Amino acid sequence: MSQLHRALFISRKDIRSYYGKPPLITWALLFPAVLMLAIYVRNPENYLNSAPGIIAMTLLFGNTSMAAIVLTFEKRTGTLQRLLLAPVSSGTIILGKSLSAMLYGIATSLVLTLGLMLLLGMRLASPAPFILGLLLGGGIFSLLGLTAAALVREVFEAMTLMNFIRFPILFISGVFVPIESLPAWLKPIAFISPMTYVVELLRLGASGNSYFASPLIPALISLAFLAAAWKLTVFAFRRQAGQ
Amino acid sequence: MKTEHNLAAISVRGLRKNYKGVPALDGVTFDVKRGELLAYLGPNGAGKTTTINILSGLLPRDSGDLAVCGVDVAKAPVRVKQLIGVVPEESNLYPELTSRGNLLYVGELYGLPRAKRALIADQILDQFCLSDKSNMPFRTLSRGMKRRLTIAAALVHSPEVLFLDEPTAGLDVQSARQLRAHVRNINQRGTTVLLTTHNLLEASELCTRILILIKGRIVAEGSASEIAERLDKAKRLAVKLSGDVDEAQLREHCPSVMGARLEGDTFILDVIDTHSAIAEVVSFSEKRSLQIVHIRSATPSLEDTFVKILEEHDAGDGGPR
Repeated sequence: MSQLHRALFISRKDIRSYYGKPPLITWALLFPAVLMLAIYVRNPENYLNSAPGIIAMTLLFGNTSMAAIVLTFEKRTGTLQRLLLAPVSSGTIILGKSLSAMLYGIATSLVLTLGLMLLLGMRLASPAPFILGLLLGGGIFSLLGLTAAALVREVFEAMTLMNFIRFPILFISGVFVPIESLPAWLKPIAFISPMTYVVELLRLGASGNSYFASPLIPALISLAFLAAAWKLTVFAFRRQAGQ
Repeated sequence: MKTEHNLAAISVRGLRKNYKGVPALDGVTFDVKRGELLAYLGPNGAGKTTTINILSGLLPRDSGDLAVCGVDVAKAPVRVKQLIGVVPEESNLYPELTSRGNLLYVGELYGLPRAKRALIADQILDQFCLSDKSNMPFRTLSRGMKRRLTIAAALVHSPEVLFLDEPTAGLDVQSARQLRAHVRNINQRGTTVLLTTHNLLEASELCTRILILIKGRIVAEGSASEIAERLDKAKRLAVKLSGDVDEAQLREHCPSVMGARLEGDTFILDVIDTHSAIAEVVSFSEKRSLQIVHIRSATPSLEDTFVKILEEHDAGDGGPR
């Protein structure tokens, strides 16, 4: 049986054990839904401009939090050791853990998107870059969550570490303000954030408008971020596992 | 799993491991034969768990050569993990999964085909007397049941070598006894077992060979009686006399007696030569008109030996090999 099969088994087990819990699903949906509603009340004419940013934020918070919580929880209960004792490589464990977190983030983002489409009339101008944005963003953010969890022991430590990364990312990535409207000094910083490219892919998918004319550039840069995040997670995981 | 049967089940050569400059393992060398049940005995902090963690790929070594069934642990860690089963000191199955669910998941991780997974899970639950708990979440089981299920999970993929780290620690007498019977049974079915323990009774009861590890070094090796004999050269007699006698009188009138202490109503005598000492005790009791209620050889127990080794090691001589 291949390592990929085993990664899928790890993923399925995590989804059953952790991700199907009602409090997690409601938390992941209510927070962005309330935020979206607030934006709608304030600006009913252009509220949909903010939708891609809010969906990307749902991905960022959902994926990083869940990946980090699951890994630190398993460290504490000792069940992570069980995975490390099994004939599975570090890559297999990371793939399994990140897949489940990614699916969770994508599922909640899709439910939010469907809600926006059904209740507020949002349309998807181009579904392909939108789905690509969800997939690449889900992958990058899950891996970042796993990296943070690999570096610390406690859940609160992982969350603290993640907050130092997530909030600056939100600020610089054109989530609430499009890149073209960012001050000149902030624009170069925006381009070093993976979130920027995820938001632009979602924006292209939702409205057809973006800072980038073609989805190819944000897609390729997001792919490069995904590869870098994978390397970083494998390094951090092996270091903490003593391998 | 095909492996060459002329190779040792476990081979450890010159294993060293330091934690921040402090040696945890200092040149540990030993072999475990196929089918053997070996006790790896030592006080807390001796380096037993560190050895198991390195052998199972959880920790890197600083130096030394390690092989399980001829497979190099450093070069092929994933293949070694397929050959071994590990029962850590803490039962660490998934609390939310049922007993059967845990075994099925372990079967998935070890790559067992779907049909075989279910069959083996049911067989093992039956073997460990846990069939009636198959649908209960792991977190709801008693400590003894959790321990049994953790051992069962380590056997799902039929490993050639089983590492048991303090398997009976924290269990009540009955559960510990049940578990020892399971371990004996596993070994009789052909699985090589390396058992770490600081329980001397468990080591001498279960294992044909014992390694004693102190401060990261193996200081004694052999069966319980061999270790006792090799390390405690002084002979020992247990003597019960009728009438009032004290230790000083015995030592004064019996030149072969080096030391005497009273345990209950029986004197334990450390003697140079057993025959001379018996003759001297008989002569002494005749002169004092005392009756010898009983006189017998008192072989030092493994516990006596273990304590003696610890004392010698603490005294700084490193202990005999």
